[in-house]
Amino acid sequence: MRTLTMRAAILEALSEEMERDEKTVLFGEDVGKFGGINAVTKGLYEKFGNKRVFDTPIAESTIVGAALGMAITGLRPIPELQFGDFVGIAFDEIFNKLGKWRYMHGGSMEVPVTLRLPIGIAGGAGPEHSQSPQALFMHGPGLHIAIPSTPYDAKGLLKTAIRDNNAVLFFEHKVLYDLKGEVPEEEYLIPLGQADVKREGSDVTIIATALQVHTALDAAESLSKEGIEVEVVDPRTLAPLDKETILGSVRKTGRVLIVHEEPKTGGSGAELAAQISEEAIFDLQAPVRRIGGPDVPIAQSLHLEQFYRPSEQQIIDTVMELMEY
Amino acid sequence: MAEIYQKEINLRDYSKENLMAFYRTMVKIRKFDENLIQLMHEGKVSGFYHSGIGSEGLSAGSIVHNLRDEDYLYYNHRGCNQKIAKGVPLSKLYGDFLGTVEGTTRGLGAGIVHSADVSRGVLGQAGTIGSQFNIAVGTAYSAKFQGTDRVTVCYFGDGAAAREPLHGSLNWAGIYELPIIYICENNEYAISCHTSEMHAVKEHIADWADGYGIPNCVVDGNDVLLMHEVAKEAIERARKGEGPTFIEAKTFRHRGHFEGDPYDYVDPEVVKEWKEKRDPIKNFKKRLLENNICSENDFSKIDEQVDHEIQKAIKTAESAPLPGRERIFEGLFA
Repeated sequence: MRTLTMRAAILEALSEEMERDEKTVLFGEDVGKFGGINAVTKGLYEKFGNKRVFDTPIAESTIVGAALGMAITGLRPIPELQFGDFVGIAFDEIFNKLGKWRYMHGGSMEVPVTLRLPIGIAGGAGPEHSQSPQALFMHGPGLHIAIPSTPYDAKGLLKTAIRDNNAVLFFEHKVLYDLKGEVPEEEYLIPLGQADVKREGSDVTIIATALQVHTALDAAESLSKEGIEVEVVDPRTLAPLDKETILGSVRKTGRVLIVHEEPKTGGSGAELAAQISEEAIFDLQAPVRRIGGPDVPIAQSLHLEQFYRPSEQQIIDTVMELMEY
Repeated sequence: MAEIYQKEINLRDYSKENLMAFYRTMVKIRKFDENLIQLMHEGKVSGFYHSGIGSEGLSAGSIVHNLRDEDYLYYNHRGCNQKIAKGVPLSKLYGDFLGTVEGTTRGLGAGIVHSADVSRGVLGQAGTIGSQFNIAVGTAYSAKFQGTDRVTVCYFGDGAAAREPLHGSLNWAGIYELPIIYICENNEYAISCHTSEMHAVKEHIADWADGYGIPNCVVDGNDVLLMHEVAKEAIERARKGEGPTFIEAKTFRHRGHFEGDPYDYVDPEVVKEWKEKRDPIKNFKKRLLENNICSENDFSKIDEQVDHEIQKAIKTAESAPLPGRERIFEGLFA
């Protein structure tokens, strides 16, 4: 099968969906002629013209608010926030509007918005361009949250997101843009709410998202050599959450480690851990453990940056601890 | 600086029927309001209500005979005025206040905000004041994108005009030449704070639009026909693809910000002056009488019809059931 980078897979998904439905509109800061600062929208302006692909002023709340207005009047907007951190500027529009407009007005409107948000620590971007704010929106009813870890998942999930008649927040880890993986030529879709077991194992379940799926897979390889078989589960969407797959794995292994790049406190792992303890506590042989980023802002320094991201060694050490119970 | 919109209006240019429609809408708005306040006093309505008494001319004038069902509208915090003028059934609005399934939200309950009637282009409003500025440009972009001549009218108060999204919205409307009409209902007060204290623009709020290259003006929002004319010109321009307009309409509220507001931060003499000399309904009626266009009998007939319509609407709304618990789980996702 051919391999593509996640950047190319996302671009392909955007292009295919825009070709498929002329009501799709893509916009954001520098997404047009420039092709996006992460080069994810390159060529779309040339292909679809300036009516369907357009650059916006630096005005995140207007970008998201306008997307809502377009969506409830028949378009299928795909706005981009240049950095996921900018949710802060458009928080009202995302938290109070995208997810709630339909419901609070009685359910008569549809909000088919796919908001793309690059996230993650990636080369000295500093405290306001490196964060992973997805957990904030698990707390906001009405929003779907997709967070792919591979080119295959990114393409299949994004195509589903664009076709969905609800608001989907689509988080893309910047480091993963250059990751290569198999992507079929033929069309496929991945439903929202379907986790993927990225590696099967019997001893410990690691639930990881985005880049951390790969750190967990690396750790699992190393641990396998020590005779410990790790199962790596990637939820792929945090909302809806595939509890069935997650709890199934937990019941099989009895040991759980959750890994994400978000700060540990109040991160998505907190919710996952709570749900596991509510529904599977008697299947556990050890406490649910979490590895997240430290609860401090992310430094600009490339040297320090590595200390914010969960490492393979941290995962190995924690799995070893879990095995001692 | 924004110009003061003035126009010689010849009443004979309007049919009697059209003139009476303005009167009917204004009376409907006022009587809706008065009856809602009565329902509040009876303890049947939860939450706050922001009475629109005093500014009926602004909404009736700009909407009646100007907007079609398919035109989009975002109302403001005294927005029952605009919803009624756009034709949202009164029983649906009462239903929202009473929380019965007759309401537009089918029992979730809604006050001024969150009522919607998509079939009449009423697309809702946000509790975070002024959020409609951003949404409205999306709607206007959508109308233009789809090759329609639909316009979007975005109402807001002088208080909401202080929200940052106004500037993002004006910038987009200017850049993309969107068919959008901003109507600032300047009633001078944002709860208790006077416009002059809250805006660095010292002359008119409409002056801001100059910076974005958007045509703008200030108008007497209590003159229903003047309001009609100024909105008509802006709407026609937008329909023709000539872009946005900003209208600042001057008015005043007869009651406090919300029911229960003691309204002691305004000189009672000022309120009295507006009530007695600048009441949009009273003045319009007087004008029609003086020009021998209508008789007292014409007005009392309309008053009676509206009274009847309101009582019927309240009855419909009140007799509808309250929803069960299952209602809160409906309609989150499409």
